[in-house]
Amino acid sequence: MFAVIALVVGVALGVIFRPTVPVGLVPYLPIAVIAALDAVFGGIRARLDKIFDDKQFVISFISNVLVAALIVYLGDQLGVGGQLSTGVVVVLGVRIFGNVAAIRRHLFRA
Amino acid sequence: MKPGPDNFLIQLFQSPLDPGYADAAARKAERPAPSRGRRLGGRGATALACLLIGLLFAVAYQHAVAAKPSTTKAREDLVGDVQSRRKQAEQLQKQAEDLRDQVARARDNALAGRGDAERLRELAAGTGLGKVTGDGVVVTLADAPPQIDPVTGKPSDDNPGVVLDRDLQDIANALWQAGAEAIAINGQRLTATSAIRTAGGAILVDFRPVTGPYQIAAIGPDQDAFAGSGTAQRFRRYVETYRMQFTVKSRKGLTLVAAPDPELRYAGVASPSPSPSGGR
Repeated sequence: MFAVIALVVGVALGVIFRPTVPVGLVPYLPIAVIAALDAVFGGIRARLDKIFDDKQFVISFISNVLVAALIVYLGDQLGVGGQLSTGVVVVLGVRIFGNVAAIRRHLFRA
Repeated sequence: MKPGPDNFLIQLFQSPLDPGYADAAARKAERPAPSRGRRLGGRGATALACLLIGLLFAVAYQHAVAAKPSTTKAREDLVGDVQSRRKQAEQLQKQAEDLRDQVARARDNALAGRGDAERLRELAAGTGLGKVTGDGVVVTLADAPPQIDPVTGKPSDDNPGVVLDRDLQDIANALWQAGAEAIAINGQRLTATSAIRTAGGAILVDFRPVTGPYQIAAIGPDQDAFAGSGTAQRFRRYVETYRMQFTVKSRKGLTLVAAPDPELRYAGVASPSPSPSGGR
């Protein structure tokens, strides 16, 4: 419950204050969003499975975002940023999809 | 078959949930419940993480929206600009036509009673500077549908059935030959100095773009003479070979608008007292 409220507050803060992102970090925003989505859906599913763990959630979020950004950064430096981004999106996308399917089974029993 | 821990893809597809949650749950089951303070701290950390995630979503969304203008919005603005200017030009054109009608009427009144008015009107019709009405033919010409490449399934780039400026020129010439008194292409009246040219992929008639299907309306040509001309026969062959579209229809009561007045190239407005500073 707190988590949902915090999420809404975060969105509201972002909309109201419109924080500026350093230009250097802009390319990592989309990949960070995907990583965050993965953490969120993983957390929701764990919650529904009744195995949610705060520490695990926070660490998975931070590490997901950092690792995804690192991979993209490394790819950019090596000239294969596009391909590595695709790889990250595929892996995280599969996980998001699987977790959402599990959430759906939990909620609708179908 | 049990997937080994190194079989990453199988593991990914079978259990998308981070295995850390299961481990944490197992650990929790073994150990006694954590203290109240620790639990609150965990809650706080989760809330903070969610706050960050929400912030991230909002910022990323705003960036995605803001990134759009540089590419799409500039284009949209340009398209809107073009459309508004085109509308303006059409209005001005209409106004010019009205004024031209007024001038013609005033001139007819002034010349009434003499044979000059009739002669002038005939000359204007012949040169394309006067509106004309009469029976004639409408030749419609359209590009062949693009050929679909059987391998890629995409339309192929080189379409031999595309209408070129040469085609419009040939048809206009054939219509003149068949006795046309006035010709207009997509409403653009041809005069003795009209140019039909290609610029890039577009065909320009008197420097104004026309797009397919091209309608070439002519007043006065002998339809049989045109249909029997070499040009018409050639286009019928194009229809068979390249699937270009070409139809000739006779039409009664065609009205062809006047061509815009030709620019004066050498004549200027006579000034009663020429000033020494170069006419300014």
